[in-house]
Amino acid sequence: MSSSVIEVKGLVKRYGDRVAINSVDLSILEGEIFGLLGPNGAGKTTIISILATLLVPDDGEITICGYRFREEAKSVRPLIGFVPQELALYPTLSAWDNLTFFGRVYGLQGSNLKERVTNVLALVGLSNRAADPVQTFSGGMKRRLNIAAGLVHQPRILFLDEPTVGIDPQSRNFIFEHVERLKAEGMTIVYTTHYMEEVERLCDRVAIIDQGRILALDTTIGLVNRLGAGVLYLGLPLVSLEPLLPDVRALSHVLTAIEEKGRLKIETSNARLALLKLIELCNARNVSILSLEMLEPTLESVFLHLTGKRLRD
Amino acid sequence: MLKKIIALTWKDLKIFFKDRGGVVLIFVQPFMFILIISYALSGVFSAGDHPIQILVVNQDTGTQAATLLDQLKDMKAFSVETSWEGHVLTLQKVERLIIEGKRTFALIFPPNFTEALEQDLGIREHLTTKVLLIVDPNTTNQIVEPVLVTIQGLLERAAYRAMMPKGVEDLFTHLGDPTSTTKSGSLRPRLEETRSRGLMEKRTPAVTMERIAPTGMHVKKLPDIYQQNVPGYTIYGIFWIVNLLAVSVLREKREGTFRRLLVAPMSRVVMLIGKWMPYYLINIVQIVIMIGVSSLLFKMSLGHSPGGLLIVSLAAAATATGLGVLVAALARTEAQIGGLTVLLLLTLSVLGGCFIPRFIMPEWLRAVGLATPHAWALDAYQDLLVRGYNFWEVLPKVGVLLAFAVIFFGIGVWRFRFE
Repeated sequence: MSSSVIEVKGLVKRYGDRVAINSVDLSILEGEIFGLLGPNGAGKTTIISILATLLVPDDGEITICGYRFREEAKSVRPLIGFVPQELALYPTLSAWDNLTFFGRVYGLQGSNLKERVTNVLALVGLSNRAADPVQTFSGGMKRRLNIAAGLVHQPRILFLDEPTVGIDPQSRNFIFEHVERLKAEGMTIVYTTHYMEEVERLCDRVAIIDQGRILALDTTIGLVNRLGAGVLYLGLPLVSLEPLLPDVRALSHVLTAIEEKGRLKIETSNARLALLKLIELCNARNVSILSLEMLEPTLESVFLHLTGKRLRD
Repeated sequence: MLKKIIALTWKDLKIFFKDRGGVVLIFVQPFMFILIISYALSGVFSAGDHPIQILVVNQDTGTQAATLLDQLKDMKAFSVETSWEGHVLTLQKVERLIIEGKRTFALIFPPNFTEALEQDLGIREHLTTKVLLIVDPNTTNQIVEPVLVTIQGLLERAAYRAMMPKGVEDLFTHLGDPTSTTKSGSLRPRLEETRSRGLMEKRTPAVTMERIAPTGMHVKKLPDIYQQNVPGYTIYGIFWIVNLLAVSVLREKREGTFRRLLVAPMSRVVMLIGKWMPYYLINIVQIVIMIGVSSLLFKMSLGHSPGGLLIVSLAAAATATGLGVLVAALARTEAQIGGLTVLLLLTLSVLGGCFIPRFIMPEWLRAVGLATPHAWALDAYQDLLVRGYNFWEVLPKVGVLLAFAVIFFGIGVWRFRFE
């Protein structure tokens, strides 16, 4: 069983009166791809910025690779690579010069530096553009180079903050393959995104975050299984749904049933079969169904189930 | 089409006015410049309010020098000082005052001034004497020449008044003819006129004026226009590095590379030093080029202390780039950087004497000028290039420049926003 390389307890970060991160606990295992999933403004970038030693938290304990964050930040920095959401490259310099500079900043020099830059350029598929200024690159190429700059010093942990924002599908796929390759080489990766499909494809475990809090943390399968086999929302023309609830709960394939915001919310072990039973019940009671929504067991559904809103709202 | 132009104009005006710091600077900066230039030049355009101060040592045993001084005192453009802090001025004292930069001009009347003026030119080999005008060699000729011409004119008038009546009397005595009153009445003025022209054009006049530098300065020859002006414009030029450095920091923050560097294993001070260093080197090269080209193209003398030039240049560059770090710390936008840079650079350059000699400014403005690194840098360069000082003699001013550099850099690091 892998040991944890990052331990976070009671993390708090405030901006004035606004609490951006509200008492977050998490543990990231060595060699895993750990996802932070949440909408814009949830706090993903703030968490990753703190872990990358870019921001100082207001409270909480953080340990990275055994080093205490506050006291031993100097020892932490050589071990981590950071790929920010915004491109962080010198546009008038070439790809080679950019990577050489960042390598030197991390203490690489001589033939070792040259070898690393060559390897990293090959890794991201930019060897043939090494001498070209970055400003001549496409968006996808810049993103790849942005990742390369975070890898040149061979970090133990890589923080990727929404690395695929605004790029074409081909480049996106390229990045996914790189990330999977890095994981295969044993790198620990913390990956923030608001795209479900990225998390589903890449991440071993996911923390769903909203408004500075972690709502759920588990493997993607584990999270989805929380929904059972689906969730049904029924809108009924009744002032109160309370009288109906006992009968609904007694139906087969119904796990739980509650009234939520004027609708009947039903977690099922089989959404289709449960729906058939519900329709029979409503017919028997002479109750019309005004609206029906069925959530398949996906992370999107999990998010909606946890927060009451869609990830892209 | 007009509507689109209006839409574009309105959009940029809205963006512009959102940057309050930039707005303030863009409107304050020219006003400040007007204010300071006006104050600085107030002595030139209202000479009566800020006359040129001339120290005078009157060693004359007669009365001619005193008469000349009375005429000089009557001129509103000059303020004659014959004592300092209650003590009568001496030659050593006036030289010290000029070396210390407290005054620029001193007039020395020799003991035999009256004797030379009133001597009988026709009887014996005549006595010659010199009136000395001691001038800080850094003073531009545009300022010195009018003073020279004025005093020369007064000397010639004094010579004429002293010599003419006696000369004409001698002439009539030699003629031995009690010429009729009528003839002498018309002859006398014509003779006086002729004689006076002869006096002016004599190859070895009885009284001459010589411009010299104070004894404490090692000036072998008077400085040329380049030695006087190149230091001022060099200092003005090198401080433009402030804008380059500050914009570079801002750009690095905007491009996101700043964040990447903050995550790297190096301290923030190291980061700032790494940001400061390239501009420091650029500044040094700038100084070398400006002074080097001036030396080659205009045959400008570089004094006799290359070590002194080097250390002053290193200190001046440190000050300029230190100020750049400070501006980078304070300004948030390119508009603010631009406005603040122009405001600072023009103000400091004017106050420091880069454009207008400080000695013609009002006393209070001269004192304010000492709060600028420009004044100290300019003085140090002039000490080396114009006044002939050596390495050790400029070290105190180098020390002041380095103090400015430390203060600018220190405040810049303290106020720098890394997040």
